[in-house]
Amino acid sequence: MLSSMAAAGSVKAALQVAEVLEAIVSCCVGPEGRQVLCTKPTGEVLLSRNGGRLLEALHLQHPIARMIVDCVSSHLKKTGDGAKTFIIFLCHLLRGLHAITDREKDPLMCENIQTHGRHWKNCSQWKFISQALLTFQTQILDGIMDQYLSRHFLSIFSSAKERTLCRNSLELLLEAYFCGRVGRNNHKFISQLMCDYFFKCMTCKSGIGVFELVDDHFVELNVGVTGLPVSDSRIIAGLVLQKDFSVYCPADGDMRMVIVTETIQPLFSTSGSEFILNSEAQFQTSQFWIMEKTKAIMKHLHSQNVKLLISSVKQPDLVIYYAGVNGISVVECLSSEEVSLIRRIIGLSPFVPPQAFSQCEIPNTALVKFCKPLILRSKRYVHLGLISTCAFIPHSIVLCGPVQGLIEQHEDALHGALKMLRQLFKDLDLNYVTQTSNQNGTSSLFIYKNSGESYQAPDTGNGSIQRPYQDTVVENKDALEKTQTYLKVHSNLVIPDVELETYIPYSTPTLTPTDTFQTVETLTCLSLERNRLTDYYEPLLKNNSTAYSTRGNRIEISYENLQVTNITRKGSMLPVSCKLPNMGTSQSYLSSSMPAGCVLPVGGNFEILLHYYLLNYAKKSHQSEETMVSMIIANALLGIPKVLYKSKTGKYSFPHTYIRAVHALQTNQPLVSSQTGLESVTGKYQLLTSVLQCLTKILTIDVVITVKRHPQKVHNQDSEDEL
Amino acid sequence: MSRLEAKKPSLCKSEPLTTERVRTTLSVLKRIVTSCYGPSGRLKQLHNGFGGYVCTTSQSSALLSHLLVTHPILKILTTSIQNHVSSFSDCGLFTAILCCNLIENVQRLGLTPTTVIRLNKHLLSLCISYLKSETCGCRIPVDFSSTQILLCLVRSILTSKPACMLTRKETEHVSALILRAFLLTIPENAEGHIILGKSLIVPLKGQRVIDSTVLPGILIEMSEVQLMRLLPIKKSTALKVALFCTTLSGDTSDTGEGTVVVSYGVSLENAVLDQLLNLGRQLISDHVDLVLCQKVIHPSLKQFLNMHRIIAIDRIGVTLMEPLTKMTGTQPIGSLGSICPNSYGSVKDVCTAKFGSKHFFHLIPNEATICSLLLCNRNDTAWDELKLTCQTALHVLQLTLKEPWALLGGGCTETHLAAYIRHKTHNDPESILKDDECTQTELQLIAEAFCSALESVVGSLEHDGGEILTDMKYGHLWSVQADSPCVANWPDLLSQCGCGLYNSQEELNWSFLRSTRRPFVPQSCLPHEAVGSASNLTLDCLTAKLSGLQVAVETANLILDLSYVIEDKN
Repeated sequence: MLSSMAAAGSVKAALQVAEVLEAIVSCCVGPEGRQVLCTKPTGEVLLSRNGGRLLEALHLQHPIARMIVDCVSSHLKKTGDGAKTFIIFLCHLLRGLHAITDREKDPLMCENIQTHGRHWKNCSQWKFISQALLTFQTQILDGIMDQYLSRHFLSIFSSAKERTLCRNSLELLLEAYFCGRVGRNNHKFISQLMCDYFFKCMTCKSGIGVFELVDDHFVELNVGVTGLPVSDSRIIAGLVLQKDFSVYCPADGDMRMVIVTETIQPLFSTSGSEFILNSEAQFQTSQFWIMEKTKAIMKHLHSQNVKLLISSVKQPDLVIYYAGVNGISVVECLSSEEVSLIRRIIGLSPFVPPQAFSQCEIPNTALVKFCKPLILRSKRYVHLGLISTCAFIPHSIVLCGPVQGLIEQHEDALHGALKMLRQLFKDLDLNYVTQTSNQNGTSSLFIYKNSGESYQAPDTGNGSIQRPYQDTVVENKDALEKTQTYLKVHSNLVIPDVELETYIPYSTPTLTPTDTFQTVETLTCLSLERNRLTDYYEPLLKNNSTAYSTRGNRIEISYENLQVTNITRKGSMLPVSCKLPNMGTSQSYLSSSMPAGCVLPVGGNFEILLHYYLLNYAKKSHQSEETMVSMIIANALLGIPKVLYKSKTGKYSFPHTYIRAVHALQTNQPLVSSQTGLESVTGKYQLLTSVLQCLTKILTIDVVITVKRHPQKVHNQDSEDEL
Repeated sequence: MSRLEAKKPSLCKSEPLTTERVRTTLSVLKRIVTSCYGPSGRLKQLHNGFGGYVCTTSQSSALLSHLLVTHPILKILTTSIQNHVSSFSDCGLFTAILCCNLIENVQRLGLTPTTVIRLNKHLLSLCISYLKSETCGCRIPVDFSSTQILLCLVRSILTSKPACMLTRKETEHVSALILRAFLLTIPENAEGHIILGKSLIVPLKGQRVIDSTVLPGILIEMSEVQLMRLLPIKKSTALKVALFCTTLSGDTSDTGEGTVVVSYGVSLENAVLDQLLNLGRQLISDHVDLVLCQKVIHPSLKQFLNMHRIIAIDRIGVTLMEPLTKMTGTQPIGSLGSICPNSYGSVKDVCTAKFGSKHFFHLIPNEATICSLLLCNRNDTAWDELKLTCQTALHVLQLTLKEPWALLGGGCTETHLAAYIRHKTHNDPESILKDDECTQTELQLIAEAFCSALESVVGSLEHDGGEILTDMKYGHLWSVQADSPCVANWPDLLSQCGCGLYNSQEELNWSFLRSTRRPFVPQSCLPHEAVGSASNLTLDCLTAKLSGLQVAVETANLILDLSYVIEDKN
C-alpha cells in the first residue's frame, strides 16, 4: 500500500516537474519561439533558444528534474536537436498516465482507455506500464515507422544512389532547424550561411567522415567577432587560426609548411638526463653548437622551400630570429586541437629536426596555397590556404554579432545543425516484431508501398508457392498520378520441414528522368521519373528433407536505386530487406532500415502521422497493454503540434489542421502542410525513443528518498556522476 | 579541489521587460547617456567609493567601462555598445540612445515581438540601403586632395567631446595636429595595397594644449642623466641600427627539462659575458651606430659599446618593438651569436629633445609612416579624455579612407532619415511589406516609433531648454535658443541648420520636431558648390554611424525578443 502510494506519487511529482519545465521551454519552441537570456556565474550573458542549455542553466535541484535534464542532455549529445520537444512530449505522456489513474476524463481518450484505466488503477503497477512502454519501443514502434509512416517520407537527396544533396531541400531543412534555434530576425541568414558552408566544404564524394571532422573541430573552424552586425558574418576559404604570426614574411609561389610539436632549438638537456658542465669553454662551445645547429635547421627548411612553420609550443627567440632571416613565417602556441585539425586536413605528421644533418629532402612538408594575416575588427588572425588531402575543403566561418552571447548562440546552433545532419546522413536500422496468426496463413506481414502498379507477392500457403508474376515492367510517366502499390507478403508459418529461400532481387532499375520541375513550395527533389522496373522474381526453393530446420521462411527483398520523389509527398520508397527467421513461433522478427536522408515537412506532420497510425494500430491490437500504451503515446504526440500552432488562428489553428490531416489520411490523399520546411525523420524517431526511455526510467522509480547531505558525500557522488 | 557544495538553483523570470525594475534601470541608463550627448552634453564624474582615480567624461567608451551594470538585460545593451565602440570608436552614445528609445517606444505599442522585430528589420534595411545609395541626400563625398572636409570631420569629433576642455583655438590646433599625424601614416609611394603606419600618442600632462605637436619618427622617453651620457654622433649618412628582442643581460637561457650540473669553479656568468662582449665586437665590426634592446643590456656590454661610440638603449618595451621594426626596417635579433648582415636597419638621424619636463631620444626616420603625437593637456582627466578623442579621430579618418563618404552631422542625418522613412512608409508600404504577414497599420505604428526614436536622439542634442525644429524641404535640423521670443519669424531666429550646410535665408518652412507633420520627400540635391565653400560643416563618420544604427536596432530586437531571464546564482 505504501509503496504503491509512493509510486503513484512519483508520476504526479514527475508531472509537476515536467509541467514547470514545459512552461519554460514552450516559450521558445518553434518558429514563434522567443529568446531566453542566461547569465553565467562569471557574469557573462548568453542568449539561447537551445532547450538543453536552458535546462542546464536552471541548475535544478529536484531529483526527478535532474534525471530528466540528464536524459535530455544525453539525447542532445547524440542528435543535437529536440530538447524542447523532449520536455513537451514527456509532459504530455505523464499527463496521459496521470489521467488514467485519476480517472480524469480526457476528451481525447476514448471509452476503451477508461475501462482499461480502472484495471490499471487496480493493479497500480507502474513497473508493468514501464515494461509495456519498453516493449512498445523495442518491438512495435519500428514496425509502425517501417510499415506505415515510411510511405510519407521524402528524401533530402536528389539521387539516392550517389546521395547527391538537393540544395533546396537542404535549405528547407536548415531553415526549419534554425527557426527553432536562433532569433527570428537571423534564422534565414544563419541557415543560408550554414548551407553555403556545407556546400563549400563538401566535395561531391564526401561521406560521413567530413561530418565527423567538422563536428569534432567545429570550435576551431569558426571565429567570433563582436561589435559587428550579424549580417557581416561570412565564410572564408581556408583556415583561420585565432593567433597572430610571431614572424610574418610575405611569400608567394611554391610554399611549403611544416608542423613541429617541440622546440627546434636543441636544448642542453632533455627530461631525465643530466648535463655536466666542466669548463666555461665547454659551455661556450655547446652554446655555439646549439646556435649553429638551429641556424642549419632553419637554413635547411628554407632550402626545401618551407615558408611556414606551425608550432604547438613556444619557440625560443633564436628560432624566431632565424626563421625571420630565412623568410619563414612562424605561428606558435597552437592548441592541440588546432594542430590535430590541420593534420587531419593535410594528412601531415610533425617534423622532427634531424639528428644527423643531411641535405636530403624533408619528408613531412605540405604545400600551402597561401598564408597571410587576416584582420577582423583590428585583430589579427592567421589565414591559411591548406591543400586538403581529405574530402573536406577547409573553410572557416566568421560569426559576427553585437555581443558575445549572440555569437555563442549562433555557434551553438550551427554545431547542433551539424550533429542533426550527421544523424540524418546515416541509415537507421529498424527492428521489430510482428504478431502473426499462424492458423490460416493469410495475415499480412508487412505492407510495402511502391509507386507503380499494385501487385501481390507470393502467397505461401501450406508449403506451396504461387508465383503471380515473374517479370513486371512498371512504367510510371506521371508522378502526379497517385498510384499505390501494396506488396503483401502472406506467409504461412507452419512449415517445419521445408526450408524456403525466396530471393527477390531487383535488377538495377533504369531510371531515365524525362523532365524536372519545381513546385511552388520549392520542393525540388521531385524529379519526374519514368521508372522502368524490371523485376526478376526467382524464388529459389530448396527442399530439405532433413527436417526441423530453424529457418522456416526467408524472404529478402532489396530495392536499390529507387528514389521516388513525388509531388504529392507520398510514396518514397525504402530499401527493405526483411528476414523472417524462426517461423515456428507466432512472432516474427523483422529488421529493416530507413535510408539516410529521410525527411518530412515541418509543422507536426510526423506527430500527426504517427498519432494516426498508432490509433489504427491500437484498434487492431488485441492486447490491452499494447492498446493502452499506443493510445497514450498517440495522444501525447499531439501535444507537440498543439504548441506549434498555439499562435495560429482560424484555418491554420490546430484543430483545423488536425482534422484536415486525418481526413487526408483516411481518404488516401496527400497531406498538405501550411508551412514550408523539412525536418529529419531520424531525429524525430530518436527523440521518441529517448523520451520513452526517460519515461521508463521515471516510472521504475518507486520512492524518492531524500538523504540529508554531508558535504563529503556530495563530493563523492558528484565525482561519480561526472565520470 | 572539487566543489563541496551543490550548485544553487538559478532564478528564472518571465517577461523581463515588463517588470518595473527593468524599466526604471533602463530609463536611468537612458538619462545618463542622453545627457552626455553632443557638444553641449553634460559631463559625468565617475569615481569609486573605495578611492582611486576620478574620471570626468562624456564619452560612451569611458562611461560604460566605468559603470558597473548588474542586470543582465542592461549588460547585453552596454556590452553591445562597448563592442561597437571598440570596433568603430565613434557613435557610441548615438547607438545607446537609439537602442533605449527603440525599446521604450516599441513597448508602448503592445504589438507582438514577432511583428515588431520583423518590421524593425525592414526599416533598418530601408535606412541602410538609403544611406548607401547614390541618391542619399545626407552624405557627401570626401575629397582627400583637400584638407577641408577632413578637418571638418576631425573638428566635429573634438567639439562633441566637451570633457576635453578645449577652447576654440585649441580645437583648431589639435584638429590640425590629428590630421597631420594621420597623413604622416600614409606611405608616400603606395601602389595597390596600402599598409597604414601608426601614430604613437606620447603623453605630456600639465602642459598647455597649444604645446602639443607632431613629430615624424619615434620618441623614447629617458631620464636627463641617461640622455647626457649619450654621446652625440656626427655622421652625414644614415645610422645603422641593431634591434634586439632577446635579453642581453647575460642570464643563461633555457636549458631544457633535464638538470645541468655545473662543476665547482666554472662561472657561467663569465662565460655568458664573454659571449656578450663577442657580440659587441661583432656589432663594432659591422659598424653599427645604434643598439636598441627590448629587454635589459648588461652594464658591461653597455659600457663596452659606449666606449666604441655606439649608442645603446635598453628596456624599450614590447609596445615600441613593432613601430621600431617598421620604422628602421630591421629584423628583431634573437641571437647572441652570429648576426645576419641584413638584420640591421637604419635611421636618418637621432637627436635629443626636451618637451615640458620630459626628455626624449628622438629617432628620425628616412621615410616612414610612423609618427609621434605629443599630446598636452592641463590635467590627467582632461588628458585622458583628449587622448581617447584623438584615437577616435584617427580611427575615424582611417575608416573614412576606406569608405570616402561622410554623413552630415549635427542631427541633420537623423531628421532627414526619419523624414525619408515616413515618406516611404506612407507612400509605398507594399514594397516594404512584400510577402510578410504584417498589416499596413502595424507598419505605420512601428515606423512612427522608429522615426520618433531617431528624432529623439537628436532631440537630446539640446540640453539648455532650446527648441528643435526641422525644415520641410531638406529635413534638416535647426535649433532655437531657449530664451528666444516665440514668434513666427523663424529666418531671423535661425541662422544655420545643424550641419551648417543650409542657412535660413532660403525659402523654407519649419515645424517643431515634436509636432506631427505630413510626410514629405526630403530633397536630396546637394549644392556641391556649397559643400565646397562651407568651411565649417559638422560631419559624422559614415561607417561608424551605419554600424551604430545596425547595432542599435539589432540589440533592441534582441532585448525585445526575450521571454525569460535565467540568472545563475552561483
